[in-house]
Amino acid sequence: MLRKEQNDLLTQTGPGTPMGQMFRLGWQPALLAEELPEPECPPVRIKLLSERLLAWRDTQGRYALTDEFCAHRGVSLWFGRNEHNGLRCPYHGWKYDHTGQCIEVPSEPSESGYCQKVKLKSYPLVERGGVLWTYMGPPEQQPPLPEWEFAMVPADRSFMSKRLQESNWLQAMEGGIDSSHVSFLHSGELNSDPLFKGSKGNQYNMGDMKPVFEVVESPGGLFIGARRNAENGSYYWRVTQWVMPAFTMIPPRADHPVHGHFWVPIDDETCWAWSFDYKVTRPLKEYELEAMRAGKGIHVPYVPGTYRPLQNKDNDYLMDRAAQKRGDTFSGVYGIAMQDASLQESMGPIVDRTKENLVSTDNGIIMARHRLLRALKAMEKGTMPPGIDLAHQRVRSAAVVLPPDQHFKEAAKEALLVQTGKEHVTV
Amino acid sequence: MSSAAEARYRIDAPNSAPRAIKVIALDPRSERVVKNLAQGRWNRATFFTASAFGSAPKQGESFSGWLSDLAGRTKNLIEEIDSADLVVMVATAGENAQAASLIGEACSLKRVMTTGLIMGSTDVSDETLSKTLAQLRPWALMLVIASAEEYIQDMLTALRA
Ligand code: FES
Ligand SMILES: [Fe+2]
Repeated sequence: MLRKEQNDLLTQTGPGTPMGQMFRLGWQPALLAEELPEPECPPVRIKLLSERLLAWRDTQGRYALTDEFCAHRGVSLWFGRNEHNGLRCPYHGWKYDHTGQCIEVPSEPSESGYCQKVKLKSYPLVERGGVLWTYMGPPEQQPPLPEWEFAMVPADRSFMSKRLQESNWLQAMEGGIDSSHVSFLHSGELNSDPLFKGSKGNQYNMGDMKPVFEVVESPGGLFIGARRNAENGSYYWRVTQWVMPAFTMIPPRADHPVHGHFWVPIDDETCWAWSFDYKVTRPLKEYELEAMRAGKGIHVPYVPGTYRPLQNKDNDYLMDRAAQKRGDTFSGVYGIAMQDASLQESMGPIVDRTKENLVSTDNGIIMARHRLLRALKAMEKGTMPPGIDLAHQRVRSAAVVLPPDQHFKEAAKEALLVQTGKEHVTV
Repeated sequence: MSSAAEARYRIDAPNSAPRAIKVIALDPRSERVVKNLAQGRWNRATFFTASAFGSAPKQGESFSGWLSDLAGRTKNLIEEIDSADLVVMVATAGENAQAASLIGEACSLKRVMTTGLIMGSTDVSDETLSKTLAQLRPWALMLVIASAEEYIQDMLTALRA
């Protein structure tokens, strides 16, 4: 459990909140590049960290992420006209450039220079790896662009999707490091999902339903090692990475693409579940891409025209009781992502952690909260939180078989770091 | 059903009874940490030390008289474990954690969940840490390597100790 003040501290990410500041000190995924495909395309309303923003591209194709509302009388600029190198408010014609600078106030004589006094808040928006990243912190502290491996490989080797999750970011992220649920909730998919099945590791997974865990701090966050018995007294280790505050990476299976997530607050009651899949040395295969687009693996099918999952709380996630009974899916909800999301959303938008009863296997979650709280305290004294340093981002998950007396952090040291030109270490 | 408004109607009644958590220091440095912790207010956590037994009794030797509370009074290991819901073993990286095997054996005999906590990992080489880990690994169903001593307090609080 957490005390109420601690729960509030970790779940509130709006302007001026400590946790919000931690998110704002690093680059966050804001949109998919496909959402702003070309110059002068329609603008997109996007809320991030409880701030309503407008993402758009000007005539030259420059990206803009500005305050959603016109400085004049507060109209949403989503209704704006994307005109020559600027966005014009349709109400009284004020026009802004991609930095948010007002460049025209038609009612005032242009010689007065009044428009120069008007500027909308704006944030940088930069494309990398099919994602548009933003930095919402103090300009003088802007770190170098992120170097997560999935975003650095050639475009045909990685796939990214996002889905709306109707819960606070923290309970979503905690799902990403809750290794003890996999053998239950996702047991059906280990054998059936095209992006999971057929790995030797799955046999270990199913052969030993009671994994033993080792939680180890890493420079950027945590390694969570789950070990199961393998042949001849050796151990099968699955090591998940968590990098603060919101990056999680699932251990690989066989030659399947490796996947992971960012859990980025939209506001305190919703978040984006960003979901990536990539290979280092080969393009994704057509059948893999097809499966990802169809919402298999960690991706989802959408309500057409949106990033809201087709299975959502309004239709009870298309719960199938017969499938639950037959055991086709453990929970009755189809698809790995929605199995997680349905349960996390069911907790309520911000779960009341004063009521929970954690057990020993929840130490990954306990340690993650502990590290976040510690980093918040250090941040108050001016220490940069973990996860912003590029070295913290050059990490990998791994699946390895090791002799029983070896510490995975030592024995799999290289496997847990980006190895340029080499695939993940996997079983 | 899962709106913020609906969340208010979650029944506000206790949904668990406090668990008996026994925290055992395995070496002198851990003992100091555990002694400090014991000053705090806990529901049903109790604190012990096995640090006098860096070299654990040999196979076949008696369990009794092998554990002591923080005042130095001898306790019966089997009895203590029998009444525990969770046993937390606290070790310092680089120190002898041999006592883990005896406690662990008693726990598996009595089917009690075990957690091992290793502190001070940043003060020693990875190799040294690996040795301590290897002593605990067979006996801890959850192992945590923590860089900050406060972790153990946070963990116990999280577990409602
Ligand atoms: S069993 Fe874990 S939330 Fe119910
Ligand atoms: Fe899951």
